[in-house]
Amino acid sequence: MIGAAFGLTLASAQGGDETAFACLFRDIQPGLLRYLHVLVPGSEAEDVAGDTWLHVVKGLPRFRGGEEAFRAWLFTIARHRAVDAGRSRSRRPDVPLAVAEAAEHPLAPDAAELALEAISTQSVMELVKALPRDHAEIIMLRVVAGLEATDVALIVGKTPGAVRVTAHRALRRLAGLAERAGVTH
Amino acid sequence: MHGEMPGFPFPGRPGGEHDEPLLDMIIARRALPPDAPQEMHDLARMLAALAGPAEPGELAREAAVRAAFRQAASPVGVSPAARRPIRHRRSRSRASRSRVRLAAALVVAAAGLGSVLAAYRDVLPSPFQQLAHVTVAAPAPHHTGSLSSTDASGARHAAPGTLQPNSGPVPRPSHPRGTGKLPGRAHTPRPHLSPDLPPPPGHGPTGPACRTQPLHSPGASQGAPAYPSPSPIGFPVPSCPGIFTLPPSQPTVHSHAP
Repeated sequence: MIGAAFGLTLASAQGGDETAFACLFRDIQPGLLRYLHVLVPGSEAEDVAGDTWLHVVKGLPRFRGGEEAFRAWLFTIARHRAVDAGRSRSRRPDVPLAVAEAAEHPLAPDAAELALEAISTQSVMELVKALPRDHAEIIMLRVVAGLEATDVALIVGKTPGAVRVTAHRALRRLAGLAERAGVTH
Repeated sequence: MHGEMPGFPFPGRPGGEHDEPLLDMIIARRALPPDAPQEMHDLARMLAALAGPAEPGELAREAAVRAAFRQAASPVGVSPAARRPIRHRRSRSRASRSRVRLAAALVVAAAGLGSVLAAYRDVLPSPFQQLAHVTVAAPAPHHTGSLSSTDASGARHAAPGTLQPNSGPVPRPSHPRGTGKLPGRAHTPRPHLSPDLPPPPGHGPTGPACRTQPLHSPGASQGAPAYPSPSPIGFPVPSCPGIFTLPPSQPTVHSHAP
């Protein structure tokens, strides 16, 4: 999160300041990429992220709002791009059967493997991917993107209350997965 | 499933309605109270790692995204840049049309100048040479007879009334040298076309006259080309109709003879 300097940074980026735009990019891109990793498979997340930023660049001069609204706008674009990518992928199914079946059943991370690692971003990402998709998406939007429940509700099409309940369930399930994986005590 | 049901906390895991304030604090990434369960602290560390700083490779596309931003935020803008090549194309097409016109004009001028020079060198085909003779006072075509006369200054001008012998070599018409100007039509004596009118002064018997070609004259050259068809009465037919001719017995006076 940029915080208090966000307004000035956004104004500079809207005025054509590339450094200010790079500041926005570096602040949001890691969370965006992790969020997209739970929506689209493999390296496709990077393509969708790049497509998202192209849309952001186009719409940046017309954007009005604070940092929360900017993030909500950007992740909304990313979700739409991910849905489009999923549609085009469904028109050309090239996923091997073994991988498709594995995707239907949540992966149980190798406990010994995860236990050897410290709590890293990648290991937690594997746990989050093991959650049901709606749970994982809400966790990512609430925790990684830093959005409020109302903004997440608009993005995923649920009520804020449903988002809150789903987030709690997702965290409890994630704690169970981590305990079984030996990531936590 | 126990952890997801209120009132049935899963042993050793956060669960139940009583942990919701703690879960909200974890989601909001606020610091947990020290007396919170260890599981809550572990979960908070996991989510902090999930929202950690960028890892290697996650910013790999920064250059491409910045390039897209530069292109979109360029002060020149997209539309002027898109219009500029069109203007260049228009100016290029105008320039190419101008060059084509200039080249065509140069070709025409060169052809005209070359034709005039060729006409004065008497190397054009006879129809064109005749046309040049009429228009730019070039020498008359030599195979139809070199019409020449000499004025008082010794300059030789085309004189339609005089025919050169066809058998001999045709002298090339020459123009006065040293005068610094080309002979104009004003210097060319007009042919006397009417047989009823007397020849102009000074053009009497020694003036320009069409030289007849006697068809059966013993003095005619064997290699001479046949000129107009013989008359029914056996007289020679003048090659210049309407021009007073001398009898073949009288010698033609060539004024330009030395």
